[in-house]
Amino acid sequence: MKAAIIGIVAAAFVIPTGLVVRWVSSAGERLHAAETTPNDAAAVATAEAADEEYCTPQLKLVLRRVLKSCGLLASGEVRGCQPADAKQVATLAGGDFNALFLPMAERAGVVEFEQNSAVLDENAKHLVDKLFTDQRGASYFLVVARASPEGAAEHNRELSKQRAEAVMQYLRDKYHDPDLDREVGLLWLGEEFAQLDQRFCEWQRSGAADGCKRENLNRSAFISWIDCQL
Amino acid sequence: MSPRSLIALVFAAACLGFGFAAAATYDFAAHLDRQVHNLHCSFIPGLSSSPGGAEGCQVTLMSPYSSLFRQSFWGGIPVSLLAMSVFAALCALTGLMLLLRAERERAALSSLLLLASIPVAASLVMGSIAAFKLHVACKQCIGIYLASAVIGVGALLAQRADLRLAGGRDTEASRRWLWAVPLTALLLVVLTTSYVLAMPSYEHVSKGCGVLTQAEDPHGVFIRLPATAPGARKAIEIFDPLCPACKAFEERLVASGLDKRLERELLLFPLDKTCNWMVDSSLHPGSCAISAAVLCAGNRAKEVIDWAFASQREFEQRAAADKDAPAQLLTQRFPELATCMNSAVTKARLAQSLRWAVKNRVPVLTPQLYIDKQRLCDEDTDLGLEYTLAHMLGGAAQ
Repeated sequence: MKAAIIGIVAAAFVIPTGLVVRWVSSAGERLHAAETTPNDAAAVATAEAADEEYCTPQLKLVLRRVLKSCGLLASGEVRGCQPADAKQVATLAGGDFNALFLPMAERAGVVEFEQNSAVLDENAKHLVDKLFTDQRGASYFLVVARASPEGAAEHNRELSKQRAEAVMQYLRDKYHDPDLDREVGLLWLGEEFAQLDQRFCEWQRSGAADGCKRENLNRSAFISWIDCQL
Repeated sequence: MSPRSLIALVFAAACLGFGFAAAATYDFAAHLDRQVHNLHCSFIPGLSSSPGGAEGCQVTLMSPYSSLFRQSFWGGIPVSLLAMSVFAALCALTGLMLLLRAERERAALSSLLLLASIPVAASLVMGSIAAFKLHVACKQCIGIYLASAVIGVGALLAQRADLRLAGGRDTEASRRWLWAVPLTALLLVVLTTSYVLAMPSYEHVSKGCGVLTQAEDPHGVFIRLPATAPGARKAIEIFDPLCPACKAFEERLVASGLDKRLERELLLFPLDKTCNWMVDSSLHPGSCAISAAVLCAGNRAKEVIDWAFASQREFEQRAAADKDAPAQLLTQRFPELATCMNSAVTKARLAQSLRWAVKNRVPVLTPQLYIDKQRLCDEDTDLGLEYTLAHMLGGAAQ
């Protein structure tokens, strides 16, 4: 009888203790195995910028060159785009260059200027605000300024540069965004390259809706966030 | 019912209670590997639960009430382990009483009544917590409560039967039965010590899982929650107001009391493709609109977040029929935020929140907590939260 009593008391200690030690130890072994064996299947996606289908190698090439000419892809310290030869930047025919931007119809807009002017009117500012604040996952904001063919080519190149810089200055003054100098790429094409045709009348424009003429379209700065990773 | 039958009934209930407590302890101990496991959530001890049938047990297991000393040990000491000790002791005591025909020994009956009062009292406390705080029914727990009730009633009736018959024995020899109580305490100490000694080392978890490279907030998109305790550490929490895991995490953090030691900055990261280009589908429809409202709410942001957490189930049900329902509910509750939350500036701020995540290349998941730029591992956001966070905070303070 005494043995039975001792047996029952011992069982009350040994059975739960044995079970608990076994369960905890095996969890420890699994933990050790999990930590020493890399598990690729459990990898979680990492947050990254958008990279849409329209980001063709040619578009990325143009974007890279524009950003590089602005000093954005070098040290990130220098701001101010160099007056590069537009054809050299694009290495494309004008029509092909414009075609790169066609898939961005919903994302882009044409900021129109008065003839021989680089001043943003209220409609232009409104369009810049609307498009610039809709960054979503885009990494770069591209400003491609143009001039209509009236006047000397040299003057029009300078005018288109002033239009691009007017957009940049407006963004600087309004948003005080510390990332601006790392995100905005400027390109000015003067009258010589990639003039916009009537197709772009359908896009968001700051000019009058009923008076879209080719020359108005090209007294402009095309602006868009570009959802491409470089 | 004869005293012997009552003791036999208590013996059976104690063995059943031991089975339930052991199954709960097994489930708890399995999670010590920091992985996800199925639970044995059933009215039959040890039987696996049907898919989706373990929600009550899951909530109970992950709640701060399932274990003690959580800041000292990873996961803490499970309450079910203590229940195992008491049920094992009751099994042994009633087994011996049956074996030795001691069902009318007064000391034995007193010891039995004293021991029986422990699971009864514990069941009342834990049952109240489940009903009024957790609002869930855990089958394993119900099994323990029922076993405890049978033990309590059986022990009480056996005692009363003894008094009624007035034939109970009370000799010097019978006083040996009083050893049952200290032996139960000893069993509890042995079992708890064995559990702690068998636990693996978790010292490395306080090193975290990754660091932030650009933790500054130049665009002012963080929602700031001030700490309430002195010497609080800076923490960044990435969350989605419609994410159930974020809500549960917040509840665990508050219950642990460690939120008071954190000066939290919240970053909104809605897992809703309406505004978040990083997700292919909207895991939490309407989350972009709610996040925009949080950004607009200024010093009432916490109020909007708490309301969103509390309304998650309603959002989910209504969003299934109408994806704009969460935004509509929000503007009904906070009409003053409607204009701001739909403005271009707010959309831009929300995009900046998401772009902050891109700059830091954080994982696309919520919630995430960073203590002084160091990320709390996902595996430590539930059972191991208190231990890991306490150690990370301790480490940061050094």
